Amino acid sequence: MNTPVTDQKNVTQPNPAKKRKLIGDRGNYFLNRIQGETGANVSACYQCERCTNACPVSYFMDIKPHQAMRYVQLGWREDLLTSSTIWVCLSCEMCTTYCPNEVGVAEVINHLRNIAAHSSITPKERNLAVFHQTFLEVLRKSGRVNEFRLMNAYYLKPNILHEKIKSGSFKEEILLGLTLFRKGRLKPFTARSKAIKDIQKAYKQARGEIV
Amino acid sequence: MKLSFYPGCSLEGMAVDYARSIDAVFQALDIDLIEIDDWSCCGATAAHSLSEAMSVILPARNLYAAEQMGLDIVSCCANCFNRLRFSQQMIQKRVLDIPWPVTGDLKVHDMTRFLADPDMIKQIEKRVLKPLSGLKLVCYYGCQMVRPPRITGYTDYENPQTLDRISTATGAQVIDWSYKATCCGASIGIARREIGDSLTKRLLDKARQAGAEAIVVSCPLCQSNLDMIQKDGLERPIPIFYFTELLRLSFSDRGNPRWFKTHFANPVPLLKAKRLLR
Repeated sequence: MNTPVTDQKNVTQPNPAKKRKLIGDRGNYFLNRIQGETGANVSACYQCERCTNACPVSYFMDIKPHQAMRYVQLGWREDLLTSSTIWVCLSCEMCTTYCPNEVGVAEVINHLRNIAAHSSITPKERNLAVFHQTFLEVLRKSGRVNEFRLMNAYYLKPNILHEKIKSGSFKEEILLGLTLFRKGRLKPFTARSKAIKDIQKAYKQARGEIV
Repeated sequence: MKLSFYPGCSLEGMAVDYARSIDAVFQALDIDLIEIDDWSCCGATAAHSLSEAMSVILPARNLYAAEQMGLDIVSCCANCFNRLRFSQQMIQKRVLDIPWPVTGDLKVHDMTRFLADPDMIKQIEKRVLKPLSGLKLVCYYGCQMVRPPRITGYTDYENPQTLDRISTATGAQVIDWSYKATCCGASIGIARREIGDSLTKRLLDKARQAGAEAIVVSCPLCQSNLDMIQKDGLERPIPIFYFTELLRLSFSDRGNPRWFKTHFANPVPLLKAKRLLR
């Protein structure tokens, strides 16, 4: 592997505005909230960095997993919710599995992603957030997720197609789609789930609507 | 033996070859797999990323459908298995109100562990017509099938053995390597290509360094990630097999090149060179 260990762009530079921010925005309110909602024992984290070393994508994160745990302890909510970490995380559970203190690192990051998704904060990794959202929309429409419909819906989201064409990868994607279709791996039409009404009812219920 | 089968969305599209080989293998093993009639998506990564409640409710509907049939569930997709197990644990803890009267008492099997059971291995060995001798393989499990251990129930999550046992039963030579359960990037490659590519390329490199000629997987997303990165044709392509494809090949004495036509890294030249395919 020839990826460099450190990259100037990805290393968090000390921000002069942050210098005086010694305690979090609401005391230990945020720590207690996260611990209560996820059941993870974040206070037990002693910064051994094992989660960051196990993480396959920590290189692409601006706040590394062990730092994220520290930020939760300090209550630095906004830094966490505007970070790329919460969207880049793959939920591969490496960090949770190898944590010596059994802090549920992946669960905490996943919960932060939930909080960010339900807030008005613009996600730093917009494309990843849009992809997750598209997945759930397609699921709601047909009860099952067809790759062809998913990719169509994803490309029709604002800015996604524009970015693809600009970077020149659009033609490649179309060719890949055609190859997949020829090989019989892309099926444009598949049946909807027979339980589609139940699924849509569940979606309404999860949103808090009265069914 | 009768079991209910939860295929998952990929088996209708990207993993058609997996679906076909599962049908053939379970027919040969005389096990009735009855597909849950009105199954729906388990929500995968998107559901638990954006709404933790939906990640329990969506699999719960499938558990409910299987409970109506009264048969234990077999799932062949790693993420579906993980989500079904997770939802089952949440139902048993009564964390949420589930819209359906579901108890969560059924067993959720993951297909590899179900077939790696000592009795099933004996059944498999009995049915092997043509041992895949000389084929050097590494087994790749991915993350969702083995981790986190408190959900999946794997005790050997650092060095899982289920696929190794099945592949050894077909007569292939299984090589040990250190990247058995390293993540392949899952669906991140769609939105952030460079992250996905860096993870899959590393896996292929490490497999080649270990001396493998092919990789055995059990997860549809791992297969498409590792296979599609080889779409431009590498100098030495590494075919990515589903473990059921290997079983199907060893259960038949002739084999059929058409079984592998959906692969990007074409395994036919390799299998022909080893005289495993005519």
